[in-house]
Amino acid sequence: MTEFSALSRLLAATIVLLAAAGCASTDAAKTNGDPYENLNRKFYSFNDTLDKNFVEPVAKKYAQYTPNPVRNSITNFFDNTGYLNTIANDLFQGKMVQSAQDSGRFLVNSTIGIGGLFDPATSMGLKQHNEDLGQTFGKWGAKEGAYLMLPLMGPSSLRDAGSPVMSMFLNPLTYFASVVTIPAGVVSAVNTRANLLDATRIRDQAALDPYTFVREAWRQQREYDIYDGNPPGDGYEDYIEDQGDGAVLRVY
Amino acid sequence: MKSLNLILAGVLLLISNLAAAVDDSAATSVVETLHASLLLAMNGGAQLGLQGRAELLAPVVESSFDFESICRIVTGRYWKSASDEQKARFTRAFKKLSVLTYASNFSSFAGEKFQTEGSAADHEALIVRTTLRPTAGEPVTLNYLLRPSNDSWRIMNVVAQGVSDLSLKRADYTAVIKTEGFDSLINRLEKKSAEMSKGP
Repeated sequence: MTEFSALSRLLAATIVLLAAAGCASTDAAKTNGDPYENLNRKFYSFNDTLDKNFVEPVAKKYAQYTPNPVRNSITNFFDNTGYLNTIANDLFQGKMVQSAQDSGRFLVNSTIGIGGLFDPATSMGLKQHNEDLGQTFGKWGAKEGAYLMLPLMGPSSLRDAGSPVMSMFLNPLTYFASVVTIPAGVVSAVNTRANLLDATRIRDQAALDPYTFVREAWRQQREYDIYDGNPPGDGYEDYIEDQGDGAVLRVY
Repeated sequence: MKSLNLILAGVLLLISNLAAAVDDSAATSVVETLHASLLLAMNGGAQLGLQGRAELLAPVVESSFDFESICRIVTGRYWKSASDEQKARFTRAFKKLSVLTYASNFSSFAGEKFQTEGSAADHEALIVRTTLRPTAGEPVTLNYLLRPSNDSWRIMNVVAQGVSDLSLKRADYTAVIKTEGFDSLINRLEKKSAEMSKGP
């Protein structure tokens, strides 16, 4: 618990700091929705250095030596412990049926699925959903606000920065002793990073300016998540109109 | 007279609907041809090698994508002010990198399936929705936007799981042009191709 609360304090301090800086920010159009780009880029290269030298090599070794069924079970386990957060956000978003299904999923996987190691719920028709506080705010109409690159945590925004805090408080693992939470946190982080190896391989292969690449990919992914795979509107005009830098072009 | 007009209008509507239906399948077949050739490359895998897969894919990729529009869009407002020589060099470098990217990402076959889910009109464009289904794990949605170009349908954009290739490249490329210039962008694309040709 103490480690997590230290992390949450750091996070909260960062958010407050950035929000305060936001008061002095200029208009969004000029800054591409990224008024803290200079600071963000510093954090990005900090994260990237740490990742390239330490986290990614560990994740690669882990992926290499861990059999797929074991990896799947580890992913299932952490998805399941984090699922109360999904259920709560289902409710916040008024998705009553989905919250009932997700509660069923959590119960089935926690019991028959042996503490979440297995995922019998999916084959019973209780599919996994992806909801969090940032998506809830998005559903309520909040815009991104400002893009944030958080140290150690990666891409986020003013709208999304609270998500990890809420999911931490709703994760049962948070309330175990640190002899449990520390190793669990490490395994979870390494496993999560290993699951992202394909995505970062594509980034490294395609990106000329990885910072910009990650920002755009993250934004579009969030939009897709907020609208559960069906973002509104019609980006078609973007294809014919001459746009400025970084204009978002999409097909819905 | 009025009823004749009505009949005529009805016939015209029918014809245009039929034409649209025909167009739909033409656009879908562009995507399916691309997918079929990707499967060929995947099946050829290591035996073909990266260069072999690139040679196999190059003609299909070049005839499936509307590179003229794509190159204009991904360089944003800088396209207009680029010289003809820069435009030609960029287009060449971009095509080459596109082919190599496909060749290096679709390098082995493990029972994956491409499935066409449907299509929908969007202004004069068509969206062909497909999924790439691995044998295990979640399918990946791949939506293609096609536009008519020189009497055939050409792919303008690929949206994978909600992430638009065109807008991602546009943001990335214009960021490079802004800080380093158009020539540097071309050089960096050429460098990417050279690195990719060497293999992983």
